[in-house]
Amino acid sequence: MQEHYPEPVNPLGMDGIEFIEYATSQPQQLGAVLQTLGFAQVARHRSREVTLYRQGSMNVIVNAHPEALPGMSAPAAHPAISAIALRVRDAEFAYRRALELGAWAMPTRASVMELNIPGIHGVGDSLVYFVDRYREFSIYDVDFLPLPGVDPRPPALAGMHWFGVVQSVHAERTGDWVDFYTHLFGFAPLPGGQYFGILPKGMLLKSPCGKFYLQLIEPPEGSEDIAWEERLLRVGIGAPDVVAATRALRERGVVFVDREPVQTSEKGALTQIYMGSVTFELVRSREEALGGGGAR
Amino acid sequence: MNGSRFGMDTITLAGPLEAKLRAVRAGGFSQIMLSARDIVGHPAGEDVAIAAVRESGLRVTGFQVLRDFEGLSGHLHDYKVDIAKAMLEMCHALGSRVLLICSSTSAHAEDNRDRMVADLRKLAMLAVPFGINVAYEALSWGRYVNEVPQAWSLVERADRHNLGLAIDSYHMLATSTPLEVLDEVDPARILFVQLADFMWKRTDTPDERRETARHFRVFPGEGVHSAQIAALMQRLDDNGYAGDYSFEVFNDDYVQLPLATVVERARRSVAWLQGQVPRRGIPLGSGLRPSPSAA
Repeated sequence: MQEHYPEPVNPLGMDGIEFIEYATSQPQQLGAVLQTLGFAQVARHRSREVTLYRQGSMNVIVNAHPEALPGMSAPAAHPAISAIALRVRDAEFAYRRALELGAWAMPTRASVMELNIPGIHGVGDSLVYFVDRYREFSIYDVDFLPLPGVDPRPPALAGMHWFGVVQSVHAERTGDWVDFYTHLFGFAPLPGGQYFGILPKGMLLKSPCGKFYLQLIEPPEGSEDIAWEERLLRVGIGAPDVVAATRALRERGVVFVDREPVQTSEKGALTQIYMGSVTFELVRSREEALGGGGAR
Repeated sequence: MNGSRFGMDTITLAGPLEAKLRAVRAGGFSQIMLSARDIVGHPAGEDVAIAAVRESGLRVTGFQVLRDFEGLSGHLHDYKVDIAKAMLEMCHALGSRVLLICSSTSAHAEDNRDRMVADLRKLAMLAVPFGINVAYEALSWGRYVNEVPQAWSLVERADRHNLGLAIDSYHMLATSTPLEVLDEVDPARILFVQLADFMWKRTDTPDERRETARHFRVFPGEGVHSAQIAALMQRLDDNGYAGDYSFEVFNDDYVQLPLATVVERARRSVAWLQGQVPRRGIPLGSGLRPSPSAA
């Protein structure tokens, strides 16, 4: 039995991904991986061991701050996606609304004169941040020091942009996470059978702004014995011409998995696993078609 | 009926947690329903209690009990959300996949179904990051929700993947709820079933139900509603319920008997139930390991 009061299509005024954060105790090594993918280091956090990488509209934060938030793990050598920051109309409103609906508030680490970016508990040890300063000035203007002599807005390689994030879920818990993303943020499940890229499985959810997707993946059948935990597995990066993008990335030293079922094709490609845990998926996509645009 | 679907509830037994865990395991049971009191009341502290549960090898059927949660507002609501969060954290630490919540008895709760639905949704959402299912039970002396159909209507309206029902035979018997109501419930949304009978025919008032529930329950097969309990299980089975059964038998006598004696009564109850509700060719007595005393 469903209730039929109208739900706003985009209750938070979501407007894409502001940044993806990785936690690792090996920030330089991960930075090197990001650089082969076309990201450039553009700024450093004022008070903590945190670095900002960027290309085009994509921001990646590498967090090597050794002290964990309460209830969370400290960064390990194997990097993990530790946060997704969502651009929203009003971060305070988004945060309050999420708490009212049953999200867990996460304490933030802001020091004196630093921005207090509200965050909630996401999957596993990860957080979801709400950011509303991304137009006239940005969160990085306050908390980060730009690296001297570095282009603060390096262009994207091969038109690359955020396409989405892939999350693992335990068996039979896809429905829980669909509820989580639908009711807290306004994501909408895509009808069954609609997939992008080369890994057509699980459940796809479209962001209310239409700018990115989440993919929820349960453990494959017959894999009861493998250790499967709920976490953010990898990012999906969109590229209008995947073959051209993989060619450009290969020249920079990126290695793609080149065997079925994840053979590189015009639909998508999957990189090798870096540092024991990090992969990147390329998916055919044009940023304009996602309602994005390299405004930053 | 497969014996491994039956578990014990620590409430049914006296003594320290470790002794309960040992007795239940020695009795051939593979799962146990835990109470918050088992954990926070442990003399060596919560961490030791949690470690004891994890080392016992017993699967945790569920964790109880969140009381008087739904229908509150203002600071009372905020307070109960804090309690719920603490219980979810304990539930998670124990490796339990189910948190039991009983329908509210609070005089401060409002008879506002929209609010109750919103509160159940909130609780279910709080449970998502921990992978916990929330099982809502109609307490037979609940203020606004005291029978299965009312609880089911809220769960159905709340419509959350990790929210379902807990059914307790005691409460259904105490309110003389007809078994037909179970036909309206999606069996996949029944998260577990608690089993107990009692020693007299009727409980006419909420006070009587509460008193009986807390002191005079007995194992199925020992009370006066044996036929109804067998029919209840048959109905659940026919409807496709495939989850766990837990013996929640509050009884003042049982908590002054040796644990092995009580566990033996539970074993007899399992055997009796298997005789009453044979299922699809599973041999009688399967699932429970032989207990040392029976060997």
